[in-house]
Amino acid sequence: MLDNRSKYLQIAFNRSLDEVRDMIAMLPASEKIIIEAGTPLIKNYGQKGIAALRGWWDEKIQKSGYIVADLKCMDRGSREVEAVAEAGASAATCLGLAPTETISEFINECEKSNIDSMVDMMNVEFPFEILQKLKKLPTIVVLHRGADENERNKEKQLPHDQIHRIKGTYGNILISVAGGEKSRDVVRTFFNDSDIAVIWRSFYEAPENTANLARDFLKLVK
Amino acid sequence: MENKEKSNSWGLIAFIAFILFLVNPIFSLFFIIVTILNSKKIFKNLNLQNYQQNLSNNHKDNFNGIEQSELALEEGGIESGSETEMPLQLKSLLLESSKKRLEKRKKYLHIALNSTLEEAKEIISQLPISDRILIEAGTPLIKIYGTEAISQIKAMAPAGTYIVADNKCADLASREVEMMVNAGANASTCLGVAPIETIDSFIEECEKFNIDSIIDMMNVESSLAILKKLKKLPNVVMLHRGVDESEFSKEKQIPYYQIKQIKGNYDILVAVAGGDDIREVQRAIFNDADIVVVWKSFYHSTKNISNLANEFLREIV
Repeated sequence: MLDNRSKYLQIAFNRSLDEVRDMIAMLPASEKIIIEAGTPLIKNYGQKGIAALRGWWDEKIQKSGYIVADLKCMDRGSREVEAVAEAGASAATCLGLAPTETISEFINECEKSNIDSMVDMMNVEFPFEILQKLKKLPTIVVLHRGADENERNKEKQLPHDQIHRIKGTYGNILISVAGGEKSRDVVRTFFNDSDIAVIWRSFYEAPENTANLARDFLKLVK
Repeated sequence: MENKEKSNSWGLIAFIAFILFLVNPIFSLFFIIVTILNSKKIFKNLNLQNYQQNLSNNHKDNFNGIEQSELALEEGGIESGSETEMPLQLKSLLLESSKKRLEKRKKYLHIALNSTLEEAKEIISQLPISDRILIEAGTPLIKIYGTEAISQIKAMAPAGTYIVADNKCADLASREVEMMVNAGANASTCLGVAPIETIDSFIEECEKFNIDSIIDMMNVESSLAILKKLKKLPNVVMLHRGVDESEFSKEKQIPYYQIKQIKGNYDILVAVAGGDDIREVQRAIFNDADIVVVWKSFYHSTKNISNLANEFLREIV
């Protein structure tokens, strides 16, 4: 599982499986890298996609790596978690926008399946309100600005100010920040005490450049 | 080839115009205007066909074996005029038949398949054949099997069945819609709680691919507030009480009163999902819902899916 004192770079993969295999082969074998099966990848390939990523990454770093299934669960928390845990995911995501019952069920099932739970706060105005309603806390809270939001509405900002407040209130919860794609965003993310920075766009746009991109981004992860 | 045909038809048009000119110059003028208007339409169709051909070529690998064999079957069945053009025409025919859309003022029974593909097959085999029955590849199926879930369900269902992909899009709408279309879906779903930018892009994209857009209002307090913010309206609004919600807090109700509210303000179809028994199906229809969504836990308790479907069809026709 993840170490509280370490920082991580989470790279989301959304291209076709063949391309993703080549991209993973180009990555530096670092434990600081988290591999994410993006939502489109999951909806395209299903469990098969997650299992493939798990296989390639484990082979690359010669031990069991950390694989996130970006499920974006909205209903039927238990069924979906079971399926991705079976496929070899180390963590799964649930939408903060989902009914509270679903999030609770999702967190329960993650514990049962022994994987980390991530709650994705995309389009949630006050992540606090969601966290307060839960019986148990998730392992990781993801502060997230969606890709469509980014593209069509430049004013919306990542809520970096929330990181300290959530950590101050809930202590050992991990924070992941998604939606900033430039190295400047990643620097800011870590500077604001986030534990995980999620990126995907530059890798998606230039898969042949994966090795350089990953090396550059890794330099920012102290 | 197409160019040659085009010049031929222009020659023909000029000839007819000339004859008409001899009869009466006014006729000829009239004829020319009509043909120009028509030809614009024809070109548009041609472009669309090219586009569809490109599409199907790009994603040939997404056509699974069964669809290919269907293609072969149809090829054998139709007496061919010129053999070389046949496959392309057929493909666009196929694509067109997959572009079935929902009609207003009709009631539909929407059957969601959520557990495994084997079970899906069993359920589909029990269903009566009717254009009022929609079959959904549920979110868990899509997340477990990927887009294969959709193409397989399409292959299992009787030809021409309307297939809904419940992908519950929350971000990156354009990519997801394209994936669902390539797998053969006639409609795709997007979450009402998603960012407005995503919903807008989702609806645009569905229009582009000529499929129905469904906005799933699960956990949305006021559907009207969401609809007001959108640039364009979706084809269907789905009022939805989630499975987890229904199971863990029984007091939450499906907001039937919203059906009339939405239909009073907008000319769109309303679907209702999350009913527990046949009474709730009746209540949904009584409250003017156009589509009633049911799934396994529901028809388990009502014993038999084919009975339910027949009962429903009797009620609405």
